[in-house]
Amino acid sequence: MTAAGVVAHGVGERSDLPIPIFYAYAGAFAALVVSFLALGLLWADSRFRGDLAGHPVRLLLPARLRLPGRAWLAGRAGRARGIGRVLALLAAAYALGWLLVGPATENAGPYLVYVLFWVGLVPASLLLGPVWRALNPFRLLPDRPRREYPARLGYWPAAAGLLAFTWTELVAPEPAAPATLLLFLALYAAAQLAGTLAYGHAWLERGDPFEVYSTLIGHLSPLGRRADGTRVLRNPFDGLDAVAPAPGLVATVCVLLGGTAYDGLSGSPFWVNALQTAPIGRTGLGTAGLLATVAGVALLYAGCLGVAGLIGGTKGLAGRFAHSLLPIAVGYLVAHYFSLLVIEGRHAVVLALGMDAEADPNAVAPGTIATVQVLAIVLGHVAGVVAAHDRSVRLLPPARAVAGQIPLFVLMVCYTTGGLTLLLA
Amino acid sequence: MRAGLLACALAWALVAGCGPLSQTHRDPGNSHEVATGAPSGQADARITIAGGRVEPPPGWLEVGRGRQVSITVTSDVADEVHVHGYDLVAELRPGVPATLRFTADLTGVFQVETHRSELVLTQLAVR
Repeated sequence: MTAAGVVAHGVGERSDLPIPIFYAYAGAFAALVVSFLALGLLWADSRFRGDLAGHPVRLLLPARLRLPGRAWLAGRAGRARGIGRVLALLAAAYALGWLLVGPATENAGPYLVYVLFWVGLVPASLLLGPVWRALNPFRLLPDRPRREYPARLGYWPAAAGLLAFTWTELVAPEPAAPATLLLFLALYAAAQLAGTLAYGHAWLERGDPFEVYSTLIGHLSPLGRRADGTRVLRNPFDGLDAVAPAPGLVATVCVLLGGTAYDGLSGSPFWVNALQTAPIGRTGLGTAGLLATVAGVALLYAGCLGVAGLIGGTKGLAGRFAHSLLPIAVGYLVAHYFSLLVIEGRHAVVLALGMDAEADPNAVAPGTIATVQVLAIVLGHVAGVVAAHDRSVRLLPPARAVAGQIPLFVLMVCYTTGGLTLLLA
Repeated sequence: MRAGLLACALAWALVAGCGPLSQTHRDPGNSHEVATGAPSGQADARITIAGGRVEPPPGWLEVGRGRQVSITVTSDVADEVHVHGYDLVAELRPGVPATLRFTADLTGVFQVETHRSELVLTQLAVR
């Protein structure tokens, strides 16, 4: 079947059942309150050291490989990455081939883009760090900047790109139609080509939405690099602490948060009905809803951080707490996409390889899905509270550090409530 | 500590504020709800489409796994109704009710929609 009409997550035939209301709220608030109180009592000094932390590790793979090409590979570390990028380019070409000439029904292309690539980047980056930086085919282009990347641009291009992708996935009239995806990918490729030709690889670091997505999520990986480039095994909180504030960082994280929130909203009967009866049309109201959700998430953040700054007597906190939203966003991404990756991921592999098999739609029990969802959201928020606490005892004067966090705590509670309500809706 | 208590109070105020909100979407007889089958029985929905409007407005059709589902759709224009996930399709002729009967053996939430007018008729929730 062609996935016509409104289908959550761009592709997919099913979505998740709502989770039991009482346990979800009770668990979430107990975890938040306990962590907030425990942190206030026991954690008086900042403990995270960002990109100075970790135990140095060496990747054993190249040294142990007894292949003829070993010296060639190990001699130039970049070569291995080059091979990875060429493979990624081939995979991209394969997906494009499906989109361009694939069949109208059971086309693997949309599954490859929405499930294996977009959703698959989350666990891959969580485990291994910034994987798309290592595989990004656009990094095969020469790094010859004509101009310096303007610092004030920061993450704004990535925020815009992620918003465009989220719109394509959740609001576009036919998200799973090859034409829709081809249009998005053409615009995306043109932007990356132009950016890389003008600013070199510095553009990809800040302007490529997928590289930024993967790199930000990769900060939560136990594998990371120190500021001097040493590969280390580290506490994910140290990795999170190493997220450097930059213009547009808050916007990028708010797009991720708002996007998953809108994804949850778009399945609720209230919104389905509103979309179908909207005088401005489904796409018009959908666009307004997505933008309003992202703006709402951002305003709530800015408002709470403004109050925190007033209490703590410090200005310009917004960018320096953006990292604490990252685990929350990842929690929502996991909650929203876990079953999609497990169930539709198999479907994607079956379709892409032309296997003669059926993906089992009952592969994961509803109880497992609900447990993963609640755990992901609650752990994400607790991690956010911990990261925010550590940052505020560093930035705020000691006497005001705990009081200054109350707005942040309220923010976390609002996000948790909103997120769980959307899962329950 | 006072800060913590304040935060607790706020948290609970928020829970109290938001809890019932989501309930309205699923409790039978509340707001825009399609006929909801009792957990033991079968789910039965009768849906009419007229002038691009769905009546009753799209809600949830809840059913226990393994139960019988029956969805009857009457449309004022020629169309096709599709149950996602189960991949069931029925032709709709103008004014002629079409009924889809099947056993709910897949868990999850599945959209029931029309293909040409691209309207969501209801969401089948199988648990």
